[in-house]
Amino acid sequence: MRLAVAAFVLLVGCTTPPPSKPAAKPSLVEMLSSLTVGKSTKSDVRAALGEGTVVDFASGFEVWVYRGQSEELVLLFEPAGILSKTRVR
Amino acid sequence: MRVFALVLLAFCTIARAQDDAVVVTALRDPVKKSYKKMVDGAALFEQRRSELAPAAALRFKLIARKPDTSLKGVELKVEADSIAIPLKVAPDRTFTIERNRTALRENAEVTPNRKAGSMTWRADVRTPGLPPQTRRLGDLRLECEVGMKAGLISNYPQGFLGWLDGLIGQRPEYCHRAEPRYLFFAEHPVFSVTLVDGARREVLPVDMLYGGAARDPKWKQDRYCDCEALFDRAYFVPLGDTSWPDDTRVEIEYMGPNS
Repeated sequence: MRLAVAAFVLLVGCTTPPPSKPAAKPSLVEMLSSLTVGKSTKSDVRAALGEGTVVDFASGFEVWVYRGQSEELVLLFEPAGILSKTRVR
Repeated sequence: MRVFALVLLAFCTIARAQDDAVVVTALRDPVKKSYKKMVDGAALFEQRRSELAPAAALRFKLIARKPDTSLKGVELKVEADSIAIPLKVAPDRTFTIERNRTALRENAEVTPNRKAGSMTWRADVRTPGLPPQTRRLGDLRLECEVGMKAGLISNYPQGFLGWLDGLIGQRPEYCHRAEPRYLFFAEHPVFSVTLVDGARREVLPVDMLYGGAARDPKWKQDRYCDCEALFDRAYFVPLGDTSWPDDTRVEIEYMGPNS
């Protein structure tokens, strides 16, 4: 019986996956790939990237800025709220 | 003791002025400009042109400051006690200025038929033959120097820094800083500005667009800034960064298709 318990413990130990490393946070460029110019809305962008720094203009256009460690992602929304341009620096 | 305090105050105020983005002018009315300063600006252009922008021409430009302001049919005059000389404004709202002894002697003003605060002014230095949506860095460097000399900058009021106004205002040397906050205005709302020198390309950070509003959203509420309605067209350039030669192209990508 003891032998069976030991074998079971050993088996479980072998099949338990090693603790995984936390997944690397995707870069701004990688997150940008989930968005589509001419299609993605502000809600889509908020869901994918979170809240950015918003600069709004009287024309209705908005610029959203996301800053990574060394990257800067700038998104332009046209007055209808659709993503119209992007740039990464 | 009083003298020491004054010297200390002067030192601190100058130091502050050199650090700040504040640009000081001494205007009686923001919509009027000193004729003498504009003549001085034109003289500086002639003096510095061969170094910075040999093929360029200087004009001065009127820019609507409020969305509902039309500059169509705007009229300009050089006015003093004994003279009133009309200036010819081109359809693109640019004009040139001639030297006139009487106007200089009488400390004339250049006066438009528009309300104060409805428009602003800039020097406009252009090398002909550049591609559309492209400026030349040497032109912008000279534009800044002339603009500072001519007092065609944001409308900080007389007395903003007291008696030191005259000492620290309108110095073209301001333009030689690595990143002076001298506002340029594009023809249309700007999405991106890129410096190009041969194979070297560098997109300017968003903090150099829109008067730096992405870093300081309250800045656009600055009542002395002449950017108000022009916010989406405003950009800074690293004028004093000498690693970029004067022939560097400044390529502007607009927000909309109106390019």
